[in-house]
Amino acid sequence: MNSNSASSMRGLTQYIADLRACRVRELEEKRINKEMAHIRQKFKEGQLDGYQKKKYLSKIVFTYILGYQVDIGHMEAVNLIASTKYSEKQIGYLAITLLMHENSEIVRLVVNSIKKDLDEMNEVNNCLALHAIANIGGKEMAEALAGDVHRLLISPTSKTFVKKKAALTLLRLYRKHPEVIPAEEWATRIIAIMDDENLGVALAVTSLIMTLAQDHADAYKGSYQKAVNRLNKIVIEDDYATEYVYYKVPIPWLQIKLLRLLQYYPPSEDSNIRTAIHNVLETIINNSQDAPKNVQHNNAQNAILFEAINLAIQLDTESTVVAKAAVLLGRFILSRETNVRYLGLDTMAHLAACADSLEPIKMHQDTIILSLRDKDISVRRRGLDLLYSMCDVTNAKVIVAELLKYLQVADYALREEMVLKIAILTEKFATEYPWYVDTILRLISSAGDHVGEEVWYRVVQIVTNNEDVQEYAATKVLEHLKSPSCHENMIKVGGYILGEFGHLIANEPGASPIEQFHALHSRSHLCSQPTRALLLSTYVKWLNLFPEIREQILYVLNRYRHVLDAELQQRACEYVALAEMPGDSLLQAVCDEMPPFAERSSLLLSRLHRKHGDTEDKRTWIIGGKEANKDREEARQASLSKGIANGGAMPIGDTMATLITSDRQPANFTVNANGASMLPTSSSQSDILSGLEGLDMNSAPSLTTPPGESSEILSAGRQPLIPRGSSPEVSPSIVATATPAAPLRLTPGAGKFFQRLCFVQEGILFEDGQLQIGLKTEYHGHMGRLALYFGNKISANFSSFTVSVKSLEPEALVVTTPRMATNTLGGMTQVQQVVHVECKDFFTKPPLLEVSYLAGSMQELALRLPVLLTKFVEPVQLGHSDFFERWKQIGGPPRETQKIFPFRLGQTGDIDVHRQRRLIGGARMQILEGVDPNPVNAVGAGVLHMSRGGKVGCLLRMEPNKEAKLSRLTVRTTNDLVSTEVLRILVSGLGSEQEKL
Amino acid sequence: MIRFILVQNRQGKSRLSKFYVPYDDDEKVRLKGEVHRLIAPRDQKYQSNFVEYRNYKVVYRRYAGLFFCVCVDANDNELAYLEAIHLFVEVLDAFFGNVCELDLVFNFYKVYAILDEVFLAGEIEETSKSAVLSRLDYLEKLD
Repeated sequence: MNSNSASSMRGLTQYIADLRACRVRELEEKRINKEMAHIRQKFKEGQLDGYQKKKYLSKIVFTYILGYQVDIGHMEAVNLIASTKYSEKQIGYLAITLLMHENSEIVRLVVNSIKKDLDEMNEVNNCLALHAIANIGGKEMAEALAGDVHRLLISPTSKTFVKKKAALTLLRLYRKHPEVIPAEEWATRIIAIMDDENLGVALAVTSLIMTLAQDHADAYKGSYQKAVNRLNKIVIEDDYATEYVYYKVPIPWLQIKLLRLLQYYPPSEDSNIRTAIHNVLETIINNSQDAPKNVQHNNAQNAILFEAINLAIQLDTESTVVAKAAVLLGRFILSRETNVRYLGLDTMAHLAACADSLEPIKMHQDTIILSLRDKDISVRRRGLDLLYSMCDVTNAKVIVAELLKYLQVADYALREEMVLKIAILTEKFATEYPWYVDTILRLISSAGDHVGEEVWYRVVQIVTNNEDVQEYAATKVLEHLKSPSCHENMIKVGGYILGEFGHLIANEPGASPIEQFHALHSRSHLCSQPTRALLLSTYVKWLNLFPEIREQILYVLNRYRHVLDAELQQRACEYVALAEMPGDSLLQAVCDEMPPFAERSSLLLSRLHRKHGDTEDKRTWIIGGKEANKDREEARQASLSKGIANGGAMPIGDTMATLITSDRQPANFTVNANGASMLPTSSSQSDILSGLEGLDMNSAPSLTTPPGESSEILSAGRQPLIPRGSSPEVSPSIVATATPAAPLRLTPGAGKFFQRLCFVQEGILFEDGQLQIGLKTEYHGHMGRLALYFGNKISANFSSFTVSVKSLEPEALVVTTPRMATNTLGGMTQVQQVVHVECKDFFTKPPLLEVSYLAGSMQELALRLPVLLTKFVEPVQLGHSDFFERWKQIGGPPRETQKIFPFRLGQTGDIDVHRQRRLIGGARMQILEGVDPNPVNAVGAGVLHMSRGGKVGCLLRMEPNKEAKLSRLTVRTTNDLVSTEVLRILVSGLGSEQEKL
Repeated sequence: MIRFILVQNRQGKSRLSKFYVPYDDDEKVRLKGEVHRLIAPRDQKYQSNFVEYRNYKVVYRRYAGLFFCVCVDANDNELAYLEAIHLFVEVLDAFFGNVCELDLVFNFYKVYAILDEVFLAGEIEETSKSAVLSRLDYLEKLD
């Protein structure tokens, strides 16, 4: 399939050959100038045919590619786009995408031509136009063309090439100008394309959805199930087109994207989905036990494997799949192949960052430490990240010692980050002060220039805030200052610490005031101006503390009054003035001990996180320990529930652990100051907890938002009261995450079906011209089984037929939906879908059934399923005396609720006793005969079953009054919330129109 | 996502460059130089195909005298892009019939067209070699 000569341009080939023959740059420039002059002349003369324009433009483009500025050809390119010949159009578009920026003036001229090509029925031209938008994609294009691109994506007549390109073009426009794309409105329609038979289309649209789902998690929730289905099809059922097999692996790129997409959502509540994912992951891991010989095959297989492991870790670090994966990873980091070692370490760092137990990783500690000496810097970096993530109290000393050793020989590019990480680990896992001080001072003295300011600021903070460490720190820093070589950072730390705490060691041999002074001052002549300024401050503090060296200090300060540097001179003058004032009171006040720092988050962590790059697709984890990822996850969940984009930025929580908790709050400081938490004792534990409470406040902004917003969140979807008898793990964070952001948009016309089904076991749930949905239900105690029957009433197929059921109160009402066997519903056929429900606790909101399918256009339904609290009531037969005994036991309000409401008389003008009893029976209450002497009154009893909330006895009495057409209903149950809800449900059935549910 | 794709020879001359995020011309020149200096001295045998670059990472593979480099986000799947490079090279090889550096030079405008069939908007677009090749064949026959 070599390039045929008809489409090649001889003049262009000659031009390229000429340029290649130029041995020196001057000759090349000369040749180019000649050619450009020639072309400019030709353009000026005009009368060029399409071929000539194409040829000249190609030369211009080639010249541009070589790195020369070109200033001609723009207009000709615009002309060429409008050509009817593909080869000319293609060059025109190429010139435009290369020569033009998104903000170029000429873009405006091009937009119209592009629009014309988009609207044409010619798919080749559609594709060229889409390429241009995808490559230039400025704001103007986004505004003018996003709608057309979307139309091409969803049109049933679009060819696969157009769909793929339209999906990715839309992605580009969205990334650049999200405000132009109505992402939520388009969600269902775009998600449906994930079912496209063509795997190329599925791949492209999955890329699009991955980005949209990050910003609009709720709207794109449906993609989760679709991703699982597709993975199941490819991995388990071996159902894929053979042309998409890449070295024996079916479309690895799609598998990877789907596995990644699943990581963007919290693990599914639905046990069927979880099982399906588990099977997929297990199959992938089992398939990877042997390494294929072929490089491509091996890479493709591992690419999927590593993504699968990442998903497994995200789902549950304790699962058997993860245990298996950990064994594999242990093998990988010993691999001879560098790529595999690299990825093994990387994935292990993910595991370390999320796992509860680090034991499976610590087994490999020696191998990992050895990876710091790998031949490849990329591997060394991964090893460093992993050591950082796997560090805890037990191995901190070993790891930090290794890192310090390695720091001496590490690449310069790595050192700054290493210093930060060592400093963080030392601080985080220190269990005794001497170790902290020794390590951090050794770090400062050996890493020299790579010690960022944050590091020595932090040391000063910690020493200032922890009384127990001050004396030791002063001793050690003095030792370092006396050693033959000493880095300026050490002098800064020394200056500060000795200035503040030097007096604590002044009686020790070798640490007398004059010796401290000499140790510092002998170094000052080599220091930079800011360090010297700091030293002057140290001296003035000593003036206050050590009157015995007053003379020496004043001598130095006086000399500094004459230096050229303004800052130093000013300080010296002020300090001398301060020293010479009569009386010491001002000096004492000025030089008083520093108060503890009130820093909220560690400077070190913020510095480290700043080093993490910006990414289009968000990170699913970060380097670091479990807390770091937990905080991040909470922040993500919080923003997810609010539907806000969360690129990769995350609030940085303070990950203080064992020792140094003091600078968070002064209250904690006193605990430390008393020496109570030298070791991780219970009191320091409570410090950590109080610290985490503070974190929660930071990372879940929805909880601390102004009242207006929070009430909006609550009213949007959830009962604000936590029911009595619920277990304590219902924490506020769940409230925030479970809040569905979008208001319910119910399909109109289904209300009457719903109302009826609330009191009967089976019937029609919905019906229109195309689709009928029938429902049969069975309830036993707290469990229920719903069979939904979807009937296609027309002759055409429904494709991408998607059914999802979601509980609006997932903690109280659990809904599981087995996967549908097919996503196509044939003409005039019926398909059944079973839904299981479990009532765990009190709930008020019926679950939502969402159905979407393609029948020419996209059809979407949102229906309430008639699953109410009363469905979980079992009728109970009670005798007269039993009933009244219980009735009295429960007593009046709040456990009794009562309502008087209007009702309609039956057709005979009498009270329709039969209907009323049927309804009460439909609410699953047993009608008790012979309890109430008045035959029109009704009395009922039942027990509500909740798997977690337990059982609640329910009693009711209804007293209709024919004359007033009013009825009084009294409900008494052992739980006030249940009483209210049962009353509400019954009134909806028994009362007139306005009471409808 | 892919930030840019570069194909460079051992001397650092770029034979193909495609940027999916806007950089100005000077920045592009700088990027090309930096990537070349980062990749070229790396050992083929003992070093991985991945290297960190600025806040991203470069996934690269060497074919004879040419380095194919894609610069991707730090959290992207390395092997997926490594194999995407190979797929692209296989497509080029089948299209030109035993492709060599000169093919890329003389047929630069076709290479760009091929690229747009395999990668678009910084994402991989089509991974079936046969689908891409039959499409290219079809386009080649158009006038």
